[in-house]
Amino acid sequence: MLEGIWSGVTVAAQPINLLMVMVGCFAGTFIGMLPGLGPISAIALMIPITYGFDPATGLILMAGVYYGAIFGGSTSSILINAPGVAGTVATSFDGYPMAKAGNAGKALAIAAYSSFSGGTIAAIFLLIAAPALARVSLSFQSTDYFALMVLGLTAVAAFAGKGNLIKALLMTILGLMLSTVGTDQAQGVPRFTLGMLDLIDGISFLLLAMATFALSEALMAVLRPKSPEDQKKELEAQKNLGSMKLSKDEVKEMAPVVGRSSVLGFFVGVLPGAGATIASFLAYGIEQRIAGPIKGKLFGKGSIRGLSAPETANNAASSGSFVPLLTLGIPGSGTTAIMLGALLSYGVQPGPRLFIDNPEVFWSVIISMYIGNVILLILNLPLIPYIARVLALPAAVLVPYILFFSLIGVYFVSFNTFDIHLMVIFAVAAVVLRLLDFPMAPMLLGFILGGMMEENLRRALIISNDSWAFMWERPLTASILAIAILILFVPILTPQLGKLKRKADEKAAEGG
Amino acid sequence: MSRDRVGALILLVFFVAYGYVSTKITLLPFQLNQAFTARTAPQFLTVAGIVLALFLLVKPGDPRPVDTKGMTFTRIALLCGLMIFYGFTVRFLGFLIATNIFLIGGFWVMGERRLLVMLGASLPVVVGFWLLMTQALDVFVAPWPDFLS
Repeated sequence: MLEGIWSGVTVAAQPINLLMVMVGCFAGTFIGMLPGLGPISAIALMIPITYGFDPATGLILMAGVYYGAIFGGSTSSILINAPGVAGTVATSFDGYPMAKAGNAGKALAIAAYSSFSGGTIAAIFLLIAAPALARVSLSFQSTDYFALMVLGLTAVAAFAGKGNLIKALLMTILGLMLSTVGTDQAQGVPRFTLGMLDLIDGISFLLLAMATFALSEALMAVLRPKSPEDQKKELEAQKNLGSMKLSKDEVKEMAPVVGRSSVLGFFVGVLPGAGATIASFLAYGIEQRIAGPIKGKLFGKGSIRGLSAPETANNAASSGSFVPLLTLGIPGSGTTAIMLGALLSYGVQPGPRLFIDNPEVFWSVIISMYIGNVILLILNLPLIPYIARVLALPAAVLVPYILFFSLIGVYFVSFNTFDIHLMVIFAVAAVVLRLLDFPMAPMLLGFILGGMMEENLRRALIISNDSWAFMWERPLTASILAIAILILFVPILTPQLGKLKRKADEKAAEGG
Repeated sequence: MSRDRVGALILLVFFVAYGYVSTKITLLPFQLNQAFTARTAPQFLTVAGIVLALFLLVKPGDPRPVDTKGMTFTRIALLCGLMIFYGFTVRFLGFLIATNIFLIGGFWVMGERRLLVMLGASLPVVVGFWLLMTQALDVFVAPWPDFLS
């Protein structure tokens, strides 16, 4: 392991990789700060640039962009109450009131220190957990992988939020369907190509990601323009940042919150489908509950704990979500799904073999997370007042740029103009589905996992002589599938159980 | 109609069409008796999709109707038109001309009318980006139309 860490340090410390972490953190902060654009769009925009890089460098850049985008999202949450990322919604609960009270600088500093601590502590956990899980997962078979992917997809749907389970499942199925377009890998039969040669290789992952995230988010911003009042508020927050220094008491108050939220965030991040959003809300809720009546009342009005907890947890969860990606090859979130797509395009197969076949990729990514966190703290924090000016860029200039970079990013990979037209079709479809509140991340995850799921299922059936019994005969597969079913039914059963309990309580009260 | 029902209906139509096309996937004679063919996954997905879409159609979770108040659909339509136009012209006119038309058109659709601002925000970015791709990253991008190069 020490040898691996050392090789990771050597790769991550190469000047080009250090430069990439810096560029990634900076670009991620810049893009993540733009309302509507999150880490998925930020990474998608970076993929075409990284095609010429070696896998370690490309992934290091994307990891930097990921952290940067989350940090950038916090900044727009705090300054203008417009989280660029779902994972930073909870940050705005206390960050924005703090900024409104004239302490925007302090709020940004708390967010930066909390993000740094959460990311660094979680990276230590990742250092221990990832190799251990990679070793265990070497014994996994096709059947287990198939079950794990089912678990990943059901978990994403289950964590989609109250009332969104069916919608998320529908979007997952849509993603799985889109993944079947093109030539069937095993039998060489064209599927859903509609006689078009351009579709014979299937739909490009980058095209789908760009169209459904970057393009559709930009178009959504055009659909819902900001009011002049909001624009005025934004300008005021950017001008009056205030001091960024924290007092000793404030640091003392933050320290235990950071410790608790880091652990919580990391473990929530490891769960497939949970990710930074769930982690930040959970951390916020827990801190509010244990804060006591006096401190608890400050939550939502500019509490230091209320800002520090979600910020720590979302960064820790971001590191945690790399565990299933690097060790099992299964993305735990939309963002890691896009990274998986990028890795596959470099010819690197994430999973337990990554640890053995490409140790330099495995370790350098983990080491670059430390470096990324340090860079975010020392580079981005002092630069925030300047980077925040991006928020003042008029939409009239910004939107055409985003559209251009999204289109050209995909076009420069294939040099096929059909891709541009296909992107427009997908973007329009995504805008319609977004207007109807259908989530996009499960669709992307379904698309990424679709091909792998079909391949593993087919292999499992060949191994078990065309018998479907492998699903319940192999204990590990059966256990994972059982967990998947359980996760899927928990959101359906919980409200029903609650209703039954209330009825029983009412009856008992009437009887009493 | 509630937004869930509208969404479910759209997806239902898509799933039915997908299911229909899946029956047209050509299989070779020896593949017909296999437990898992190129049609298996699509047909399973069709059934699952239709069942879930029907469920959402019958029992929508979100009763709110589609809210399009204050939304500017004309701009979206124009921007989409511009993107399609860009797809047709990027090869025909070359990168530099087509991209400048696209960006300036985009600024105009978004409400910018000052020609100097539009040119200033477009020309240096397009030329700079082209230089970056061709000189630094070694990616050949035809700058002009074929008849000029």
